[in-house]
Amino acid sequence: MSDSFSLPLRPRLDRPDPPDPLPLEIAQINAQWGSFRHVSEDFLRHRIADQSDDASEDHDESPTEVDTTERLDQLYRKRAEITQFAHQAHMEALFALDFVSLLISHHAPRQAETSMSAYLKQVAPMGSLTPEVVDPPPKPDAVRRDTAAVARGWRLQNFHSAANKLLTAATRLESEVAAETRYWNEVLSIQHQGWKVCRLPRDRQALGVQYGFLEATPIFRDRGLASLRRADDGSLLLDQGLVPQKARRVRVRVKTAGRWTGASRTPPPSTSDPDAIEARIRQARDTVYEEELFHEMMREARILAPHGVTTRQNLVRVPVSDEQEIWLDLVDTDGEAPPPPADDGPPAPADDDRLADALAHALRILLTHAHRQNRHRREQPPPPLTPRRRHTPEYHLLRPLLAGLQHRAHVRALEAVLRDLHRVRRAAGLAGDGTVTPFASVRPPAPHPGLPTVESLVRSLLRPLESTLGGPLAAPQASVHVTVRTAITGPPGGTVFDLAVHLPAFPDVQPPARIALRSEVEAVLSHVLLLDVVAAVAAAPATAPGRRWEPAAPHHGELVTAGGSSAAQNRKLTIHLSRDGLRVEAVAVGGLDPFGRPMPDPTATPSSRTWTAESTGPGLLEFVGEVSRE
Amino acid sequence: MHELLLFASVPAHQHHELLQQLAGLTAMQPRHRLERRLIFKAYRKPGLINTRVGASQDLQGNEMQRLNKMLNGGMFYTQVVGPLDESDFGLNRSSAGDPDAAMSGTEELPTNGPTYSYENQPWKLEFRDIPEAGTRSAVTARLMASSSLPKGDISTPMTAWGYSFVSEYVVEGDIFVLDDIVIFLHRVLNYPTEPQSHEPRRELPPLSDMVLLERSGSYVLQASITVQDGGNQEMMKTASQHLFGLREQLKSAVRLEQADRLSLDTRAK
Amino acid sequence: MSTPTKDQIKALEQSRQRLVQLTHSLASLIASLNQSDPLPSWPSLQSQATILSNNLLSISEHLSENQPLLSSLVAYPGPDFPGRTQAPTLEQLLRTKLDPRVEDWVARGRRRAVPDTNSNNNNNGGDGVTADNDNNLSEHDLAELWHWAPVEANREARQRDWGGDYTLEERQGGVANVVTGLRRVLDDGEDDLESSGSSEGEGNEGQGEDEEMEVVGVRMRPGAGAVAGGGGLEFDIATGGAHGASAVGGEDGGVGVQKVVAPVVPLEGILRFMTTGAQPGQR
Repeated sequence: MSDSFSLPLRPRLDRPDPPDPLPLEIAQINAQWGSFRHVSEDFLRHRIADQSDDASEDHDESPTEVDTTERLDQLYRKRAEITQFAHQAHMEALFALDFVSLLISHHAPRQAETSMSAYLKQVAPMGSLTPEVVDPPPKPDAVRRDTAAVARGWRLQNFHSAANKLLTAATRLESEVAAETRYWNEVLSIQHQGWKVCRLPRDRQALGVQYGFLEATPIFRDRGLASLRRADDGSLLLDQGLVPQKARRVRVRVKTAGRWTGASRTPPPSTSDPDAIEARIRQARDTVYEEELFHEMMREARILAPHGVTTRQNLVRVPVSDEQEIWLDLVDTDGEAPPPPADDGPPAPADDDRLADALAHALRILLTHAHRQNRHRREQPPPPLTPRRRHTPEYHLLRPLLAGLQHRAHVRALEAVLRDLHRVRRAAGLAGDGTVTPFASVRPPAPHPGLPTVESLVRSLLRPLESTLGGPLAAPQASVHVTVRTAITGPPGGTVFDLAVHLPAFPDVQPPARIALRSEVEAVLSHVLLLDVVAAVAAAPATAPGRRWEPAAPHHGELVTAGGSSAAQNRKLTIHLSRDGLRVEAVAVGGLDPFGRPMPDPTATPSSRTWTAESTGPGLLEFVGEVSRE
Repeated sequence: MHELLLFASVPAHQHHELLQQLAGLTAMQPRHRLERRLIFKAYRKPGLINTRVGASQDLQGNEMQRLNKMLNGGMFYTQVVGPLDESDFGLNRSSAGDPDAAMSGTEELPTNGPTYSYENQPWKLEFRDIPEAGTRSAVTARLMASSSLPKGDISTPMTAWGYSFVSEYVVEGDIFVLDDIVIFLHRVLNYPTEPQSHEPRRELPPLSDMVLLERSGSYVLQASITVQDGGNQEMMKTASQHLFGLREQLKSAVRLEQADRLSLDTRAK
Repeated sequence: MSTPTKDQIKALEQSRQRLVQLTHSLASLIASLNQSDPLPSWPSLQSQATILSNNLLSISEHLSENQPLLSSLVAYPGPDFPGRTQAPTLEQLLRTKLDPRVEDWVARGRRRAVPDTNSNNNNNGGDGVTADNDNNLSEHDLAELWHWAPVEANREARQRDWGGDYTLEERQGGVANVVTGLRRVLDDGEDDLESSGSSEGEGNEGQGEDEEMEVVGVRMRPGAGAVAGGGGLEFDIATGGAHGASAVGGEDGGVGVQKVVAPVVPLEGILRFMTTGAQPGQR
């Protein structure tokens, strides 16, 4: 540095003009550097780049790399030197004092006595050395000149070293100014980007940047502060203390039937330069957020253990259905391997990638929501102090997800059942339709005064989930509707199904009010649809011979023709409805069983027909018409 | 319950700055608060009251018991506090061309007279004992209790309990919460006119007509913590320490101190 | 040969006093060196060095002032000096030969002063060209330079405000135009220059800041009450009149400049009113 910038403090003696006055020097500095304030970061970086070669050389030869013991050694040597000089000087001064004291002891014994050494007092009586004034011969010129030369020599020497010290100080000051300028510019740029720059609570001389989340659990909240230290060259150092520097994030993976079928993606870094201080702050913020997210998930997962959620050191496993599981773990952002290993089978369907991404986003939104709720709570007047410590309730992170997934699974399963049944029925020419309104409860929230939109939005997601499915049936005015409700905040598994059945032919048929098991709902659904088939057959207009079908044992899908003169003339129809097909069996009635029910005639050959979803051709009613004509 | 408090006087010119400091310290926005405060004074010797108050149907049985206990304890001044909204106050006559009104494009003519409904005014009874004497810790500590009261006309039930109405005022200020501490930066507003009758007002004047009790406009900073069990020395100590922590944090801005005990003397003589 | 006069003895006595001071200072330096490990604190070491340097300066001044007298004084042992037994002591007292180290020091000065022999001097790595130039100056030139330099340096030093917040250039361009990025108003140290107490004032302010910085963000400035026009706040807070009751009573209606008014009613009066309804001052 000194070769590129020097103040001519040493006298320019070939020209006995005065050295440049300081204002000129300031002008010189300004000309070379611009105003101190305008020395920009880029400019400094540039300079540093230019000088990097020199700098690295400097480093190699740097004598500052003496280790501490050596330095200590040096220190003690110097100390001994100082002490020795001091002793010597003291001794010489004492001799001089003794001499002068003894010299005046004749004329001023009282004063002299106070300053004579004990030894001298012992050996030399007072007044035993006397001064006399003489007329001395003039000193030789040579001696005088020599004395003057020595004095001049030392003066020169001292000016020289003073000049050197000033120059060193100026150089140091100059590099300090450059370093400080750079440091403050970087601090300012951080603040301009919206980060909160503040004084550190513990080290009040230092600046820090707050990137963490005020409403996080204290251990994570307190980690959200890093000091902004200054490197020797003025560049900013983000000192996060003990926090690992690695970027980490929560990864969501979906495992279906023992295979990885999806994983959340790592968002691309938002800035191009990962070493930029802003990028590092952002990374620190993201990591502390992700770690908190994982911590809170673990906490919640533990209370969910009764519901099959398992935790390991660094993993949360959430079962969604019999064959699907969600795995949540905290991974390093960079060292992340693609999740599906090759031997696990064919590549996963992209669908589950989306699911995993959605879950990952949802988790983060929910943690932010929990933060907001913490803030609301914090701003409320606190309850009175009691010795009991307030337990922080687990956040709702996994539970809403679990509820959503379960709800989705239930609705999808029911939808499939309904769809299959209707398909079979449609193939058999029966009207009726099943439509699904999934997540009917999730609506854009109405604006709520005093509540930010984002909060009411998340709140609406945390309300009980509700989906409906169902529709009109074949029989006139018949319909069936299922409402699926899942509570988000309660314990998982809290899905209830409400069925609304409207079968004018069987007004007494009403399912139980609330069904908790999906399998039961499925059974009820297919039963209701069977009843509807029976009702539809019964309601069909009478065919030519005038025989009508009447439900005999509708719950077993049985109808008989009525109006025959004897039981034997009647026909019996048995309908089986399942997701796979609709099967009808018609047989002549042989007589009545002991309960008065028509029995098939064992001698008659039954005629039957089966429709599957793919069937074409005549429908059920045509078949029934044929049978009834026989 | 016990209440521990520290107070400071805040000159008007410092108010805005202190609000910002407190907002920074507590990391929350100030919550503005307007309160009606009615002062009642016991006129009967305790122990004589065994009242069923007609208008108390909205009070729970145990709440009632607590009220009776509180009010029968001794001869005390006690406060009845009701939250207000700015819209409860009468319209400012001078603000006919109020910018707010002009801005709301709908030509909504201001309804004549205030929207305040005395009948629906909720109330709370705030009982405070005289601060404990001779406590060595440098905080004000006193027994406190509060309880909900019937809405609307409170004079009648209070009279039935043996309390007569003394006077009333309005408190306006801002509340902050710092962990267990509630910080209330407030000042007292007096009504511009003497009441017609000696009972709580049924109408409120415009807010701008209210008169400052402290004419320079200074505020009172009150920091308080409530402790469930005042007999628990450990808790009381913790609470004082929290207050001292706040005092330390604010010491460059205000000097929080124990209040003069007699100025908070609630005993009715 | 004559006996010294009273004044001459007085001069000697003054030498003695200065030497006493020097020996004391040295003794105390040695003591403090011995008492601390590894070294006394830097400020204490520095102040001791300053004291010593002042002692030496005063001795040196005294010696040159009294040079004519001292060079014409001779000391000789009187008849009662036990010359036979204490010859070494006498020799020590009357020694004029310099200590070898001092001799060396003198020689170095001599070498430095003589141009021919400076090739092997040790001037702390300064570039040789300048050093040569130094010594090429004639004695006369040097004397002239040395005569001129202190005056000129002093003049230069006076031209700048060593403790100020602004550079000379900035001040010439108008302090108001400087973008400091600070919201508080810097004290333009102009007045301090004349009052010469600027460094002291700075020190006080610095201390004050350390003590006052308790609340994050905003702080009071020491002695704010004395500053007129409400400028006592370190930060120029935006005065939004929107705040709820700032219009109440009209007392602080015109917010812009708030007057510093001490409360009229003491806190006790307010609390008493709030508790019992007793009007302040009516008790």
